[in-house]
Amino acid sequence: MQQLILGLAFILLTATYAVSGHAADNKPLHLGLAGEPATLDPHRYNLRIEETVLADLFLGLTTFSSEGKLMPGAALKWETSEDGLTWTFHLDPNARWSDGQPLTAHDFVYAFRRLLDPKTAASLAYFMYPLRNAEAIATGKLPPDQLGVRAANNLILELILGLPYPHLPERLLYPTAYPVPKHVIDKVGDAWVKPEHWISNGAYTLRDWKPQQYLQLARNLHFKPAPAAPTVSYHTTANTQNAYNRYRAGDLDSIAGFPTGDLAAIRTERAAELRLAPQLSMMYLVFNTRSAPFNDMRVREALSIVVEPTTLTDKVMKSGDLAAASFVPPMVSNYAHPAFPHAGQLMPHRQRRARALLTAAGFSSATPLKVTLRYAAGTDAKRANLAIAAFWQQIGVRVELHQSELRVHYGDLRQGNFQVAQAGWLGESNPEHYLGLLHGRSGDTNYGAFADKSVDTLIDAARKQKDIPERHRLLAQAEAAAMKSYPVMPLYSLTTRRLVRTDLRGWHDNSRDAHPARFLVR
Amino acid sequence: MINRLGALGVTFLVIVTLIFGLLRLAPGGPFDGERALPPEIEANLRAAYHLDEPLPQQYVRWLVNLLQGDLGPSFSQKDFSVNELIAEGLPVSLLVGGLALVIALITGVIAGTLAAQRPGGGVDGIIMSLVNLGLAIPGIIAAPVAVLVFAILLQWFPAGGIGSAAHYVLPSIAAALPYSAAIARLWRGAVVESLQEGHVLTARSKGLSEWRVLWRHVFPIASLPLVSYLGPLAAGLLTGTVVVETVFELPGIGRYFVQAALNRDYTLVMGVAVVYAAMILAFNFIVDITYRQIDPRMRLES
Amino acid sequence: MTSRLKQVFAGSVFAAIASITLFSVILFTLLGPSLSGWTAEEVDWDALETPPDDRHHLGTDLVGRDLFTRIAEGGQLSLGIALLATGISVLIGVPWGALAGYVGGRTDQWMMRFVDTLYALPFILVVILIVVVVGRNTWALFAGLGAVYWLDIARIVRGQAIRVRSAAYIQAARSMGASTRWIVIRHVLPNVAGPAFIYATLTVPGIILAESFLSFLGLGVQEPDASWGVLIADGTASMESAPWTLLFPAAFLATTVWSLNLLGDRLRDAWDPKRTRT
Repeated sequence: MQQLILGLAFILLTATYAVSGHAADNKPLHLGLAGEPATLDPHRYNLRIEETVLADLFLGLTTFSSEGKLMPGAALKWETSEDGLTWTFHLDPNARWSDGQPLTAHDFVYAFRRLLDPKTAASLAYFMYPLRNAEAIATGKLPPDQLGVRAANNLILELILGLPYPHLPERLLYPTAYPVPKHVIDKVGDAWVKPEHWISNGAYTLRDWKPQQYLQLARNLHFKPAPAAPTVSYHTTANTQNAYNRYRAGDLDSIAGFPTGDLAAIRTERAAELRLAPQLSMMYLVFNTRSAPFNDMRVREALSIVVEPTTLTDKVMKSGDLAAASFVPPMVSNYAHPAFPHAGQLMPHRQRRARALLTAAGFSSATPLKVTLRYAAGTDAKRANLAIAAFWQQIGVRVELHQSELRVHYGDLRQGNFQVAQAGWLGESNPEHYLGLLHGRSGDTNYGAFADKSVDTLIDAARKQKDIPERHRLLAQAEAAAMKSYPVMPLYSLTTRRLVRTDLRGWHDNSRDAHPARFLVR
Repeated sequence: MINRLGALGVTFLVIVTLIFGLLRLAPGGPFDGERALPPEIEANLRAAYHLDEPLPQQYVRWLVNLLQGDLGPSFSQKDFSVNELIAEGLPVSLLVGGLALVIALITGVIAGTLAAQRPGGGVDGIIMSLVNLGLAIPGIIAAPVAVLVFAILLQWFPAGGIGSAAHYVLPSIAAALPYSAAIARLWRGAVVESLQEGHVLTARSKGLSEWRVLWRHVFPIASLPLVSYLGPLAAGLLTGTVVVETVFELPGIGRYFVQAALNRDYTLVMGVAVVYAAMILAFNFIVDITYRQIDPRMRLES
Repeated sequence: MTSRLKQVFAGSVFAAIASITLFSVILFTLLGPSLSGWTAEEVDWDALETPPDDRHHLGTDLVGRDLFTRIAEGGQLSLGIALLATGISVLIGVPWGALAGYVGGRTDQWMMRFVDTLYALPFILVVILIVVVVGRNTWALFAGLGAVYWLDIARIVRGQAIRVRSAAYIQAARSMGASTRWIVIRHVLPNVAGPAFIYATLTVPGIILAESFLSFLGLGVQEPDASWGVLIADGTASMESAPWTLLFPAAFLATTVWSLNLLGDRLRDAWDPKRTRT
């Protein structure tokens, strides 16, 4: 009997598979994309929206499941050497490029070398700095063929690291680790990203790209199992109001964002379509420790302890964002999140202490502390930063706000051209990805130029460990050490706010905001 | 004629040089995104876009390419050249601008003629009040309100994007509105004035029909100021299309221009500015020649 | 001048309405901030995006700031920028036009060719380029606007200066050996002042619109400062959930521009009989 049921289930399953997998009556998908991709070259990309499209066009060694979890991609399995430095990946022998050419380990060797070649000018090349000699190659000190990557044969790829890096499979999820079609690039050069030359190894290929309108993806006939939707169109929307209008007009099946002011109405009218999901990310304020007044720890502490992130998220923004208690986002697991020294104290007490700290640092009501708070344009950011200004005004600080465009804002941050500024980091489930930003030698991603010997020592020690628990233990110590001197003020983790039509199946909210189109059915 | 063409060329060169000079004075770089890049990688990027060369060399490179019709790569849209982006966007902008021009001309001339029939009368009063209202309501108000009323509340037209003819209705009307009002006022004045002229009065006294008088004797004279207004009108419409392209998310070059300006995409800003300048210069040139053709006094002079 | 002023208002209800409106708007922008009980940047956490009520007479915006105050202060900025930019355009345009018109000949030709060249450029282009270069600050904005809007005034003043040049008293002054500079300052400038003033009046609404346009696109006045353009842009972003955030600033902008246009036209008609309404 049990066998019979199993058998029936099997028949049913195969039947559904036949219907959803091969039938042509699955509808095309029309998804909203919050902005225009700057490029579809996986080695030259920089933006989150590009990751979304690239994940449908390419398949890396590892990939996201429909739930946003890590799963095998072009590599079926992998193992690590005893010292944690050599990773061996076994490629899927059936993997093909969209022109039918087999995908080999040599393609990956070529791709990693191209990524780190200075000539490629890949802005995120440093994502693959765990590879041996990667940094030296990117800075032109070594030729690309010295990179720690090797094809043992067509199906076995070896990655050789400089230091142990147990989070490598997660790092391989980024487009920077995608293969690119050498046989096309050799022929047409940079024009390989044009639809007419496009070849990729993901579930879809690029059929058309009309800037400021849409990107249309068509099924890759050599990809198994075949994705349900015959085509996927990503429609670019420059602002949330327009995205929302077009979603309501029925033009789009899903949009990533709508005007915050409409959230209340959406909660009542479109509750089933509303998808709120916390995202692995950290929005924070960074103090510029290069110069006065923020080279003074007392000032940083004073401003930090009077801001209550939960008020910000629950009362002010009401957007479902997750208030932060420490710098590493709460979704990062297997990690003992440390707490700030002021955690648990009441606000009046904190304000008294903050005033005392400011007085000790030489500020008074006659000579108040004046700060300029910079943030990147956007309604949510505006709300949050106005609220922060209000918190500070309560302890007699004069605040001026300065808003600029996203690219310009981060340009200013990297050049150290700010006093205190909002910053954001979309990350991995790896505490090092965040704490690295506070390392004294991490370059200009350490916007505030914070440097603390004990923090650096702990992070360096962690980087030599090949076991995740030991690594995380040291990193938690590093975070606790850093939090004592308030280099940054963690505010909240972003929540992705999407609208998804109820007839779009296969959509699972997740903290990576990963929704590969091949799992979606309409 | 040759002289004028030469002057046109020199003007264009001066403008183009000004644009280049202005933009290279701008602070900040075009390579900053959500994720920061290490200095060595930024150096790679600068080299790839020739930003590491001395300024005169960059200028010569840009000018030589420009004269060959090549506006260079876009910083922010790395997979497209500026030429490709403009080729995609220009038709949309021209269509919206052209439609707006036609709408403004037709409605403006009709309203102006009606108002001029009995100056000071009821019709004139109503039309001129509407005209004044139209002049006071800029595109930044008209366009979003039009979206709110006609796209969201009434759902008569799409809220944005392109695809069908219906997508162009709201944008071109919103862009035309203030210029329709300006033309109505101008045309009314010109018609009223020429109705007083001697030969018109004579023609009327001969018993010609009102319509014939207007068509044969009034409109030819009244069209002179209108033609000379076409130059500023085109420049103004260009401004108008920038707004409607932004509000309605039309993939035109005006939106590129604003986006590129906000994001310091130098090559794209320069490319669009050059195209704008060339279009306006060419349009003014044509208007100038037309004016000379239709103005009897000018014809005698030359 | 008094007879002309009379002509401006004679028999027109609209002119009276326009002047009263304008006066009220100016009064509102000056006194509004002190009447509301809120400052422009103060956030009322208990009233985010609320419609007009007793606490906030024109409602609040998305972040809980009092719209009444913000519209009043925004008006100060919009009108202030327009007046300053107009001032700049008069300072450049009047001497330029007076000199070109009075001196005439080659100088005139070159000076006016320069004006024509700039005329060929759409103003938006120039101002956006200036804003990109100088960065988005309010000063750069009105310097840029002033630098573009002087062209009209230069043209008008030149025409007037040519007319004045042949006048008998100037011929007399010249024959008595007066210097060009003296004649321009003593005779030409006073004579072109009237038309220059009138065209300046018409420039003000133009610049208000231009400023709002740039701020709307994010290229003009920046948060937390507000101009009417900034408020309209904000209102557009929330027009559905909070229509008042769009409607009130839009109404203020439109009525102000309407009044200024109307008064400017009437002034011009009074000055230039040829353009008089029949």
